[in-house]
Amino acid sequence: MSTTLTRQAAAATAPSQPPAVGSHSPSKTTSKRATAAATFLRAVAARLGSGVWKVAGILAFLALWELGPTYLADSSTRVFLPPLHDVLAAWGKLYESGTIQGHLAASLTRSVTGFGAALVAGISLGLLIAWYPRLNAILNPLLELFRNTAALALLPVFTLLLGIGEESKISIVAYAAFFPVLLNTIAGVKTVDPLLIRAAKSLGLNSFRLFQKVILPSAVPTIFTGIRMAGTASILVLIAAEMVGAKAGLGYLIVNAQSSFLIPDMYAGILTVSLLGLAVNFLLVALERHFSRWRTAVGAASS
Amino acid sequence: MTAKISLQNVSKQFTVRAGKGPKGLKGGAKEATILTALDALSLDVRDGEFLTLVGPSGSGKTTLLDLLAGLTTPTSGEVLVDGRPVTGPGKDRAVVFQQYALFPWRTASANVSIGLEGKGPDGRKLTRRERAAKASEYLALVGLAGFEDRFPHELSGGMKQRVAIARSLAYEPDVLLMDEPFAALDAQTREQLQDELLRIWRATGKTIVFITHGIDEAVYLGQRVAVLSARPGRLKEIVDVDIPDRVGDEDIRSHPAFVEQRHKVWTLLHDEVRVAQDAGHRKILPDGTAPDETPTTNPSNHERSAA
Repeated sequence: MSTTLTRQAAAATAPSQPPAVGSHSPSKTTSKRATAAATFLRAVAARLGSGVWKVAGILAFLALWELGPTYLADSSTRVFLPPLHDVLAAWGKLYESGTIQGHLAASLTRSVTGFGAALVAGISLGLLIAWYPRLNAILNPLLELFRNTAALALLPVFTLLLGIGEESKISIVAYAAFFPVLLNTIAGVKTVDPLLIRAAKSLGLNSFRLFQKVILPSAVPTIFTGIRMAGTASILVLIAAEMVGAKAGLGYLIVNAQSSFLIPDMYAGILTVSLLGLAVNFLLVALERHFSRWRTAVGAASS
Repeated sequence: MTAKISLQNVSKQFTVRAGKGPKGLKGGAKEATILTALDALSLDVRDGEFLTLVGPSGSGKTTLLDLLAGLTTPTSGEVLVDGRPVTGPGKDRAVVFQQYALFPWRTASANVSIGLEGKGPDGRKLTRRERAAKASEYLALVGLAGFEDRFPHELSGGMKQRVAIARSLAYEPDVLLMDEPFAALDAQTREQLQDELLRIWRATGKTIVFITHGIDEAVYLGQRVAVLSARPGRLKEIVDVDIPDRVGDEDIRSHPAFVEQRHKVWTLLHDEVRVAQDAGHRKILPDGTAPDETPTTNPSNHERSAA
């Protein structure tokens, strides 16, 4: 959304662009500025319009959560599905006591460490595999096998080998995040337009420069798609791992609250997990957009 | 006088992995066939000459250009530039492709200056500012001053090709190799760019080898037009284009000399095109595959599938 916005604004200020219809200012620069402002306002209005609809969905859901348990459900169900304000109150208490921050920090440390390790390993191995076909031939069947083994199925193995401490959780997060990054890196490098490679060769670039200046930049958007998928996967797997055996973390908070029959606390944990997931995705999308600015938005103002 | 570029008895053969035909045809289509793209071709290009090259589809035009660019090596014969055999791509030659081949993540300016990154011929590395200045200079030469910061997707086809031309000129090669560079453009833009190319050629004195399938374009641009035969590509004839007062403002395309020479090239080419069509020749891709080529019988199934 924001890219289209800036692009429109840029197009409006660009020198070759004829002034858009509807601007009557006498001076050329002011007319341009007016057009830019008008475009900006229109975009903001459109954004607000779609924003209202987006918010409406969320609000309806929250209202249902708040009112449903009170008026629709019977009292026994209400215990297991407390209305929103109970959950928020529980969240507030957990926040004041610092419990939720502690669990969040524990989860974040694990996911960031594991995710980071997966990024480094996935991208570098992916580049190697894509560059050396022999390596690809050897590793591909193996990777195919591992990739199709659900990460959580291996959780007992990680626990047995690495104990129930941090190592096993970080490793399983790394494992789960590794494959999306690896596969997308390979795909990104392999789908580089052969014409660009020919052009680069004709420009006299050697293998290393070709890799650095053509293959890598052109693969970046695809790699980032993998990174985004890995971000989602790492949180999913981490929460599950923390539910199975941990002394801290959001997954532990949820399971522990459930078994202690602190149902609002459990929902507070779940809410935190969704917010964390949203935040991670938002961050990664923003990064992806930043690195893929050059990609043409479909139907964007190219002539 | 020595030739700038000299092709001596150059042949090029491809081992063609037949493309995946329709599913019913699996049996015989798997055998690799040897395909002769160029056969004992000899051709000299003078220093500073504008040579255009026409030939029917599949006559090895692009192969010839790849050989000159050093992107591939001849099966036999020698390709000499300045009397030295071509062993690989070099900064003395530049290629302009039909599909522009701009790097989409680089701005126009950065695209033009990519050939300047790294050490120059004097062993010195240009600073970022020097590169940008040079890029602006060459963008101005192709009529794109002020477009330095545009990304390729913000440019029209004609503008992209101008950037591509600027990019190939920027590192100051002696030879410009152009592979149907204007084929994807609309007629008006094409004419405009043809004139610009002639202007640039006169201004810079480069040796240009220009591949085209447009006879008009070949005669209009070239000092000589080399006509290739249908596959295997041989040099059929070289037509000297001699049109008086070229530089004038008149419509050269209606000049009697132009019409006459155009007709001559047309006649030469026409027979070859028919031969090529009858034989069902298709383009060989740069990686040596010919997806449209049918080694077995039954070519009717494949007619014009992916041309």
